[in-house]
Amino acid sequence: MKRRRSLFLHLSHIRLLAKKFALVILFLIAFVLMLINKTDTVIIDKTSSVATDMFSPLIDILVVPAKMVAKGYDYFKDLKQIHQDNIRLREENRRLNMVYDRFRALEIENKLLSKLLNYVTPPRADFVTARVIAEEGDAFSHSMIAYVGDEKVKKGQIALSDRGVVGRVDKVGQRYVKIILITDINSKIPVMVEKSRVRGILSGDNSTMPKLIFIPLDATVNVGDRIVTSGVAGVFPAGLPIGKVIKVSKNEIVVKPFSSLEQLEYIRLVDYGLEGILDNTQETPQEDK
Amino acid sequence: MAKELDENITSVFQRLLPFAVSALLLLFSYVPFDFMFLNSIRPAMGMICVYFWLQHRPDLFNLGSVFCLGVLDDVVTSSPLGSNIFELLLMYVLVNNTSRFLNAKPFVVLWYGFALLALVTMLSRWLIVSVYYSQFLPLSMLAFSYMATIAVYPLISLLLAFVQNNFIQDDE
Repeated sequence: MKRRRSLFLHLSHIRLLAKKFALVILFLIAFVLMLINKTDTVIIDKTSSVATDMFSPLIDILVVPAKMVAKGYDYFKDLKQIHQDNIRLREENRRLNMVYDRFRALEIENKLLSKLLNYVTPPRADFVTARVIAEEGDAFSHSMIAYVGDEKVKKGQIALSDRGVVGRVDKVGQRYVKIILITDINSKIPVMVEKSRVRGILSGDNSTMPKLIFIPLDATVNVGDRIVTSGVAGVFPAGLPIGKVIKVSKNEIVVKPFSSLEQLEYIRLVDYGLEGILDNTQETPQEDK
Repeated sequence: MAKELDENITSVFQRLLPFAVSALLLLFSYVPFDFMFLNSIRPAMGMICVYFWLQHRPDLFNLGSVFCLGVLDDVVTSSPLGSNIFELLLMYVLVNNTSRFLNAKPFVVLWYGFALLALVTMLSRWLIVSVYYSQFLPLSMLAFSYMATIAVYPLISLLLAFVQNNFIQDDE
């Protein structure tokens, strides 16, 4: 009887130890994963892409009811604004017609001048329109998952909204891609001030506004200046709009993106054929077939 | 025989339900909404689910479930792999060590308890990820996320309580 009791106590002790040990092991796994992730290995990249592909269809299904609620809300909100919008759009249309005429004249002038200077035109861009199915933006990361279907997408491709650059493709799965937003701490884009051509790096810090860093000490940057891509490093072509400067202080220059990153429904993933310094070996597996 | 099989299926279903509901809620929390601000301030859904189930049905939500939920969260987000696992495991440890103070207490006490534990876990993760990036992450975003998490806790716990009361039988 005594022996049986001691055996029982023994087993419960082992079970308790195993339970405690499991917790330590799982904590260790979490830390090891973080360390491996820091080294940016191909295995993690590929595993993460496969996992994104596995779980994204579930989010895709969940999007449907959420979109219905959002659309219903938008419908009633829009009803109130239709009249005011109509007046504003008529005025805007009149102004845009004038701008369009001017644009056509400039385009012809540009073509003639390019011919005179023997200017080499940049490569034609191919793009894929992707539907955003998941977004996340908190203190730890800013990214989104988009559905690309059977289209071919490469790691490093630029993500554009109708207003400008929003990020770049980070992980590529079979049908889904993960995009790092320009506000993410891992995002570093070579940019310049459109007017003064001062170059720098637009760096995300996981807040809602990226910062302009590495600009020359004697450079003058003013509030309201437009920031565009500089084309340095050859990943992003020059001149793509990103945002405008909203704050210049001694320690930081804050840039507000043109696109509202939290309200993106569709984005364009553009391939300018510029390989740059990025390793573009990862791409949608369809091409291998 | 058929009755036994039926009971087994029900038992498995009930065992898996807390994790399945939590995983669905977690994925749902990343669905983009067209409302302003809603996408940039997201509640930490995983943390709410872990806290709720460990308080109410620890027998159906074990360490493995916590770990799997952390992996799922890590896969969907692009924060450093393992950081979500760390956060949820820390919540597991904290809930287990405070359960004797919070067990069978009124909802308001549980809510306060959650607010306190969520603060500790979120700050710990913030510190770990800041070390990872060798730079302090914006505390303002963390504060917004924390407030959103605390604010939606009653709503989510109401939903989870509904699942618990209607689809999961008591042990007795």
